[in-house]
Amino acid sequence: MRALWRVRRVTEPAGGVADRDAGPPELVGSLQIRHVDAGSCNGCELEIASAFGPVYDAERFGARLVASPRHADALLVTGPVTRNMAVPLVKTFEATPEPRIVIAVGDCARDCGVFHGAYGVVGAVGDVVPVDVSIAGCPPDPTAIVDALRGITRR
Amino acid sequence: MTAGWLVVAGATTGVAAGAVGAALPRRWRFTSAALLVWLACAFEAAAAVHVMATGRHIVLHSATLIPITGVDIELNQLGALFVLLVAGVAIPATLHGIGYARHGLDSRLAAGTFPLFVTCLLLVPAAGSVATFMGLWELMALTSLVLVLINHGRSEATRSAATWYAVFTHGGAVLILVAWLILTAHTKGQTFPELSAHARELAPAVRGLVFLLALVGFGSKAGVVPFHVWLPKAHPEAPSPVSALMSGAMVALGVYGIILVGDVVLGRGPSWWWLTVLVLGAGSALFGSIHAASSTDMKRLLAYSTTDNIGLALIALGASGFFESTRHPLLAALALVASLTLILNHAAFKAALFLSAGSVQVATGSRDLDQLGGLLRRMPQTGTLFLVSAAAIAALPPLNGFVGEWLLFQSLLHGAAIGSTAGDVAIPLALSAMALTAGLTVVAFVKAAGIGFLGRPRSVGADDAVEVAVTMRLAVGLLAGACVVLGVVPFLVLPAVERAAGVALPGLTRAPVSRGVELQLVGLRGLLAPAAVAGGLVVAVGAVVGLRRVLARRPAPNVAEAWGCGRQFQTARMQYTAVSFAEPVQRVFDDVLRPVQDLDVSHAAESRYFVESLTFHNSVDDAVERWLYERIIRAARRWGQAARLLQPGSVHRYLAYGLGAVVVVFASLAVVR
Repeated sequence: MRALWRVRRVTEPAGGVADRDAGPPELVGSLQIRHVDAGSCNGCELEIASAFGPVYDAERFGARLVASPRHADALLVTGPVTRNMAVPLVKTFEATPEPRIVIAVGDCARDCGVFHGAYGVVGAVGDVVPVDVSIAGCPPDPTAIVDALRGITRR
Repeated sequence: MTAGWLVVAGATTGVAAGAVGAALPRRWRFTSAALLVWLACAFEAAAAVHVMATGRHIVLHSATLIPITGVDIELNQLGALFVLLVAGVAIPATLHGIGYARHGLDSRLAAGTFPLFVTCLLLVPAAGSVATFMGLWELMALTSLVLVLINHGRSEATRSAATWYAVFTHGGAVLILVAWLILTAHTKGQTFPELSAHARELAPAVRGLVFLLALVGFGSKAGVVPFHVWLPKAHPEAPSPVSALMSGAMVALGVYGIILVGDVVLGRGPSWWWLTVLVLGAGSALFGSIHAASSTDMKRLLAYSTTDNIGLALIALGASGFFESTRHPLLAALALVASLTLILNHAAFKAALFLSAGSVQVATGSRDLDQLGGLLRRMPQTGTLFLVSAAAIAALPPLNGFVGEWLLFQSLLHGAAIGSTAGDVAIPLALSAMALTAGLTVVAFVKAAGIGFLGRPRSVGADDAVEVAVTMRLAVGLLAGACVVLGVVPFLVLPAVERAAGVALPGLTRAPVSRGVELQLVGLRGLLAPAAVAGGLVVAVGAVVGLRRVLARRPAPNVAEAWGCGRQFQTARMQYTAVSFAEPVQRVFDDVLRPVQDLDVSHAAESRYFVESLTFHNSVDDAVERWLYERIIRAARRWGQAARLLQPGSVHRYLAYGLGAVVVVFASLAVVR
């Protein structure tokens, strides 16, 4: 209890949101997300974990990570799409009920980044499934991820 | 007396069926024996119905049929209920046997013994004296032992199972015989009415001893913990129609024996007798259901579930005796009716389940749940009937298991407030044991139905399974239909159950449950309308389905593969298995089950960080067997080894023993003279 008292509130203040028209209207207010690691170096995963941690706390804004694409509205895809993950990514996309959106997190997901042209890489996420929202950065800052999600939930 | 010829005709037909089964060539053997078995069942059932309807006992005596002791038949309403139960199980089991015969029941021995077994089962509840009862009881044990051993060539497990069964059934018979002998030693006659007339004059300690001996003896037949060890061994190894008869009918006769000795002959007794029964019942119910929830062999699961169900019936029986001894006749009657209803219901759904397990074994060649799967699509009728029976045993309304457990719950709930110290402790414990048992039974049968019949086939045998012969489906269908009938319109059979209970409770004047469409407890608060529940369920399900069809304007269904975590291809091995389904139960009840788990890891030669192979071994043996009986067997073996010091095989030594004995005798004679 004492530690709780000493630390007080650690969450970042909720600022304004830049882009307010990113997702379909059905997903406003609540966004269930399934994360797919399509071949990431785990840098983006650290930032996602931090975005959903106590400091950046994306759940304040209605975004939530879920355990199955069957429960999800959105796929949060990281990394360049490797050969082994191309089919699973498509299957996951197909298993997500509509309306669905795909969020590509990080430079690798957007355009393969430093792995561009590597032998094990099929391509960027956009080459495999249609991407609706992209988040730049290698890795992107948690605030960037939270901002992008808020653009969809509009909260 | 006029109906006596029905009993005789039934017995004669049964024996004739055995002769026909043993004599005819293989092709017609089992079928013709089955026809005669049905005739025998019909005769005996007609006699039982006559007794039920008129209330007059059938009494027969023949001094010449067996010299010295004679044969006494006395069929009262209690016996009649059990005769009807046996006939109700035997007719479908024999029908199933016609289809099953090619898989191990069409040998001369099997087709000859099976009808004899059924005949003994039919006649045991009609026995009227100690000699007749014990003769039939032993014949029943021996014929069933032969039938367990029928497939002895197939595996070592069968022989071992038969050994265990033989030891338990004969050990039990010895105890029962001792109990009868103590009773007959104090009276002139040996018929049950004579015994019961004199039993009240015995000293309380002797009466208590007789009851305990009979309880252990009959308990070992009924599969009561800790005398249940033979059940999960013998039931899986016996051919399925035999397992159905053993589990549905023979085990019920164990409970009949306890009622016969405790209630009819000894005329009830002090409360400690019945608290013992109640505690044994609660222990059996818990132990059986925990093991059923963790078993992966389908018939082993069913065998443990038999222990569980008999435990419930004994809880009811013990509660009934306890209420009687604390002067609550109405509660006692209700609990006894609950006990008999539970046994009737158990006979219906357990026989159905054993028979469908047999059908599955015939179709797939396996009874290991982890080798099955996807059978509902391949064997739709057997699968559906199994699901219905599993729902019945899981006590889901509107099926029969629910009615029995409702009666038991009501009698215990009303009995919890009678204000005796022993009752205040025992009844709530029994209630909680029963609640836990009910939950674990659901786990066990969700596993049996889900792993066995849903999903994808886990073996070639399950993949190639086709629907079994029509006789086998019809047999299971009859029993599953009985589950529905007993569940929806129990008032059809409750009068018979109440008349049977009246034999055990002579002071019973009013029926404990009103005989209307709804069951209303007389003198207590409690009401259940099974037909209304069933009707409501049908209407509700129909309404939901209908409304969905009418209201929802859905787009065309989107066919997609089941979600398998995005794997590129899915195999049957990715499914939940019976072991993994049971793992949480196994973990929670670690102390009871004491599972043996081994993980062998062999590392690559180059580096310990690379694993070459992993072998996981998991087995759940019976803890009672390991901790009690293996010790007894070890002790017996040590004594045997010690005896070998005296008997080393040397003829000289034996001659010396003889000489020594003669010398000792002469020397002692010389000294005494």
